Amino acid sequence: MATENRIGNLDPVVSHAHFAAIVESSDDAIISKTLEGIITSWNQSAERIFEFTAQEAIGKSILIIIPPDRQDEEVRILEQLRRGERIKHYETVRRSKSGHPVEVSLTISPIRDASGTIVGASKIARDISARKMAQRQLDETQKKYARDLEKKVDERTAKLQGAIAELEAFSYSVSHDLRAPLRAMEQYAQALLEDYGDRLDETGTRYVQRIITSGEKLDNLIRDVLTYSRVIRSNVDFHPVEIAPLISDIIGHHESLEPSRAEIIIEKPLAAVLGNEVFLTQSLSNLLVNAAKFVAPGVKPRIVVRTEHLGPKARIWVEDNGIGIAPEYHARIFAMFERLDAQKAYDGTGIGLAIVRKAVERMGGSVGVESELGKGSRFWIELPEAAQGEAAKGSL
Amino acid sequence: MRGPILLVEDNEDDVFFLQRAMKSAGLNYPIVVATDGQQAIDYLSGAKEFSDRAKFPVPELVLLDIKLPKVHGLDVLKWIRSESSLQTLVVVMLTTSHLEVDVDRAYRLGANSFLVKTSASEKLERMLRSIHDYWLQLNHPPPRLPNGNNGQKQ
Repeated sequence: MATENRIGNLDPVVSHAHFAAIVESSDDAIISKTLEGIITSWNQSAERIFEFTAQEAIGKSILIIIPPDRQDEEVRILEQLRRGERIKHYETVRRSKSGHPVEVSLTISPIRDASGTIVGASKIARDISARKMAQRQLDETQKKYARDLEKKVDERTAKLQGAIAELEAFSYSVSHDLRAPLRAMEQYAQALLEDYGDRLDETGTRYVQRIITSGEKLDNLIRDVLTYSRVIRSNVDFHPVEIAPLISDIIGHHESLEPSRAEIIIEKPLAAVLGNEVFLTQSLSNLLVNAAKFVAPGVKPRIVVRTEHLGPKARIWVEDNGIGIAPEYHARIFAMFERLDAQKAYDGTGIGLAIVRKAVERMGGSVGVESELGKGSRFWIELPEAAQGEAAKGSL
Repeated sequence: MRGPILLVEDNEDDVFFLQRAMKSAGLNYPIVVATDGQQAIDYLSGAKEFSDRAKFPVPELVLLDIKLPKVHGLDVLKWIRSESSLQTLVVVMLTTSHLEVDVDRAYRLGANSFLVKTSASEKLERMLRSIHDYWLQLNHPPPRLPNGNNGQKQ
């Protein structure tokens, strides 16, 4: 290239002057020293960075710019140089004439004489104080952001915990305070019928009955909303759960599932799943009670419970001979307060299936339904399958 | 002579329906009513207006509501179990809701049973008859203290 050629053509004296000029005008401190550590050259940037003039520095030991606690570095550096090694971009701290620390990146190379013997070293020191300062500021800023973020997370967590506590308090109050007057209303209406029924005509009796029914509905609604909110916020731990004993327990706790009122066929063996027993009981009892409820008048409910292995998962099926659900409503029925026209004739709050979905989702599973109007419904819950032995252990 | 049932209940409607159901169930067991937690503690310890044990005998059974004025029902239960003379007293929680947190705390604090109030009169009658038959007839009550003052502070 042109520049190289021109330099290459310069005579040695001019060339020396040329390189000396480059060294002088460099932004980096360029210093040479003997193998004993005596400074032999000192450029302008060295004067600027270390505050010693060339006159003051040359002939002195390099230790004048090395802080007392780092002077052993020089011994190591000199040893490496004697071995002919080059030291590249070594970040350290030196000090100026006035005693200020100067952060530098050093590159130190051995200098050889014409015979190849190492006679000294050249040292290029780049002042990285500004960069280091910027880095520290950046680190500090990052730390501050991290601290601020942590503080914000803590504050929000506290707020969230506060909100949860308020919700708990609200639910508690709803459970106790809202239900008490409602119960009184139902009870007085009942007492009215029992104690003064003979003085009420047919219409009066019907009105009082309506008060009682509405009270019962509201009570069920409150109960279901509370269950739903409990399912949302309570902690869930998972264990292997056997489905068969759970179904038997549920049947024993619901009048509508008694053998005289509903035929329930359990296709054993039923799989065991990984879930939460309370949530599973809640979900399966809602499905079973629904299955027994939504049947055409005069039809005895016939419910089949079975499980299906689907790879690592198990699907629990609750199949009935009920009124069925048109396919266009299959997605909607799991939403809150969703009641289909066909179901209006039956009691219900419209929350039962929302509870099932929420509970199953909180266990990491999924729910669904297959059904057609007039052809019964087949609800399913899918959860990770557990080994039978594990479930036995888990249920202890 | 056996003591009465101490009903700790602040809701006068509940008191009314409980007494009504007792009557219609044909149970004429004596019931005394404390309308807040402090009154229950006063009655059980024979303090203040309840110092006359002949008039205010130690109950055979306590029906204890949870949400009560002055002293919370669970604190009343805690106090009962902390009193050496009342540690074996039969306490049946009778409350509006079976919130898990309440059920759990009640049993941990030493409740003997946990029942949820019902609004249907025949169910309430059945519940009271069960309480009566089980706790006051079938069940062997804890032995009384020799001085018969098992409600008073020692």
